[in-house]
Amino acid sequence: MELFDNLLLGLSTALQWNNLFYCLIGVVIGTAIGVLPGIGPIPTVALLLPFTFGLAPASALIMLAGIFYGAQYGGSTTAILVNVPGETSSVVTCLDGHEMAKQGRAGPALAIAAISSFFAGTVATIVIAVLALPLGALALKFTAVEYFSLLVLGLFAAVILAHGSVSKSLAMVFLGLLIGTVGIDVNSGVARMTFGVPALADGLDFVPVAMGMFGLAEIIANLERPAVRQVVSQKLRDLVPSRADLKAAFPAMLRGTFIGSALGVLPGGGAALPPFTAYALEKKLAKDPSRFGKGAIEGVAGPEAANNAGAQTSFIPLLTLGIPANALMALMIGALMMQGIQPGPQVMTEQPELVWGVIASMWTGNLMLLIINLPLVGLWVSMLKIPYRLLFPAIVLFCCIGTYGISNSAFNVWLMLGCAVVGYFFIKVGVEPAPLLLGLVLGPQLEENFRRAMQLADGDPSVFVTRPISALLLAIVAIMLLAMLSPAVLKTRKRALAE
Amino acid sequence: MSLRILKAAAAALALSVLAPALAPTPAAAQSFDRPVRIVVPFAPGGTSDILARLIAPKLSEAVGQPVVVENKPGAAGNIGADAVAKARPDGHTLLLMDIGSLAIAPSLFPDLSYNVEADLAPVGMVMFGPYVLAVNPAVPAKNVAELVAYAKANPGKLAVANSGVGALNHITAVALARDLGIEWKNVPYKGGAAASRAVVSGESTVIINGATATLPFVTNGQLVGIAVTGDERLAALPNVETFKEAKLPLSDAGTWQGLLTTGKTPPEVVAKLNAELNKILALPEIKEKIAEQGGSVRPGSPENVKTWLATNIKSWGDIVRAADIKTN
Repeated sequence: MELFDNLLLGLSTALQWNNLFYCLIGVVIGTAIGVLPGIGPIPTVALLLPFTFGLAPASALIMLAGIFYGAQYGGSTTAILVNVPGETSSVVTCLDGHEMAKQGRAGPALAIAAISSFFAGTVATIVIAVLALPLGALALKFTAVEYFSLLVLGLFAAVILAHGSVSKSLAMVFLGLLIGTVGIDVNSGVARMTFGVPALADGLDFVPVAMGMFGLAEIIANLERPAVRQVVSQKLRDLVPSRADLKAAFPAMLRGTFIGSALGVLPGGGAALPPFTAYALEKKLAKDPSRFGKGAIEGVAGPEAANNAGAQTSFIPLLTLGIPANALMALMIGALMMQGIQPGPQVMTEQPELVWGVIASMWTGNLMLLIINLPLVGLWVSMLKIPYRLLFPAIVLFCCIGTYGISNSAFNVWLMLGCAVVGYFFIKVGVEPAPLLLGLVLGPQLEENFRRAMQLADGDPSVFVTRPISALLLAIVAIMLLAMLSPAVLKTRKRALAE
Repeated sequence: MSLRILKAAAAALALSVLAPALAPTPAAAQSFDRPVRIVVPFAPGGTSDILARLIAPKLSEAVGQPVVVENKPGAAGNIGADAVAKARPDGHTLLLMDIGSLAIAPSLFPDLSYNVEADLAPVGMVMFGPYVLAVNPAVPAKNVAELVAYAKANPGKLAVANSGVGALNHITAVALARDLGIEWKNVPYKGGAAASRAVVSGESTVIINGATATLPFVTNGQLVGIAVTGDERLAALPNVETFKEAKLPLSDAGTWQGLLTTGKTPPEVVAKLNAELNKILALPEIKEKIAEQGGSVRPGSPENVKTWLATNIKSWGDIVRAADIKTN
């Protein structure tokens, strides 16, 4: 069985002492930032990116991946205990999790959240292992034509599935595409919108833009809000959920895992969609929907499983196709490129120990998370007491150091600070910066592959529909567009997002 | 995590603070009084970067000062080169790069912010790495004669992948087509790695690129080797003829890595640096490491580099202008 050979190869990488160590660092940092509201995995990964250069590629990716799924665990801890969602993905967990805590059942709620996450993480690891090979084989057939169609699919999916207004997402994607054209054009060598500034010749670096728009802008916005945070004092002795709890939670866990795995693979799914969908489904299936919002254990198990499964399966497009499913995966691509690995379908065949090592590390990482999360809950809660006046300046400082380090360029620091102001403006007017970043990352590739495909086909655009893989991808785009415009879907989408 | 880099940074910081207090070795006392920087105008991991990191510790011993490698990537190497061109002219800021890019820059970028010949002072050549001309196995050609015949019979069908508009392998492909009277498409990619991959997958069909990057694909059969530049055949490809044997033009195209410093640096400082560089290049361990990079050491005088630059600025410039290759 090739699958087992691959998993074994992966485990042999993931179980090396240094990789276990970096995995542990990753999940601990991830849990910590998950606990802290306002600091998400994206700025954290962006921040650590320049520092991973000294590591082996597998260790670097294992650590960064650990931060990502570790944050999904940490976010639920504060959601349950203090009704503060550490991450977007744990917003739903607040609804019933915090109710359970108020009723004195914080222990079972935390335990179910951790168990659901672990269960979903384990299943998602297997899903990745099974699906990655067929997807990887398919990916070897990809040339500029197929890449173009795939990128079109990715961009459309990002707009359709993003939460919030479609017109705002579209506007942001186009803004991203536009600033993605800055720099020397690969195909013609023409410098565009560089205003004669040499630092712009290679385009805007993604990391300072992401750090500014997500991390620093979020901090500015947080400064406006009064720092009122109530910590429910709870005895955490009784962590073990009852048999009835487990029985009620298990089917929800299964469904959540399935939903999360499926939605995670789709580009642009975002962190919010899987748990929201899982919650909506549980509520619909429940015999007595009125229990939801009053401490229903299924309302914790389903979304927690979904967000963890989704976080992990969003690695599939990255590992097999080199295509980022979301902004965080785009950062992972940056991490690969800094290691001299050109992301793409060939990574799977050329660097099997890297890909399978990262996949296997997700399982070991999930196990570590289960072990460290239960006893450390008290510590995470006390981290919430660090005053923002100490926390924020430290983050800003690290962001500046991190950005400068990318290419020893002060220009990038100014770029990041400028993007922070722009990002704050976006928060104020209520638009999400994530589609902009996707446009910025995917836009130049989209153009490059389109023009290369045209050059190789002597300007004949029919190649996009005559080559089967490309035709299939474009057909999916057409179906998605039709589906989005149908009234039934519009209604459900609105309702799901309103929950 | 970041420990390794942090430690290195801390060490560099400590050294730079302590350096003035340390008594410099007598030999270098007059000329080197603070840490020396080797600017590599590309991202870490490339040939120039590896060479700089090989040379830095040896140079540090020789001049009695810490030698720090600094990557300043961007704008086809021009950001890093500009930083060195505008540094204090005392030989403490060095530039290590593929000087072929320097020779093309004045023709490719009419508003270049520095003058290659006046603002940079050559220290010496470091290495030469030959190019390998290879094709995808689907192309019905196993040698130069067959390739040229195929190209003549099918004008515009072959697609040559290059590492970017105005890159040395782009100009080489343009010049080859001109001199052989053939017609092929020039397809630009983002860097040599992406170009190699495209030819392996069959998206493009021909590649001209450095031996280090291309050899693995040729030896495992994913690409077919057609010819190599340089004076002799490669040990790894004994059956692949050289450009000279095949009567192809541009037989010395390839990677020429050179060390330069700021223009107007006093000649005695340049001479001292050149002497130390050539001593380092004579070390067996350095020769061996450079061979691993697919090249051979090329010790020489600063004048060698100066002449090389002057000749190639003209000859590459003629090709760039004739083919009307532009970047802005």
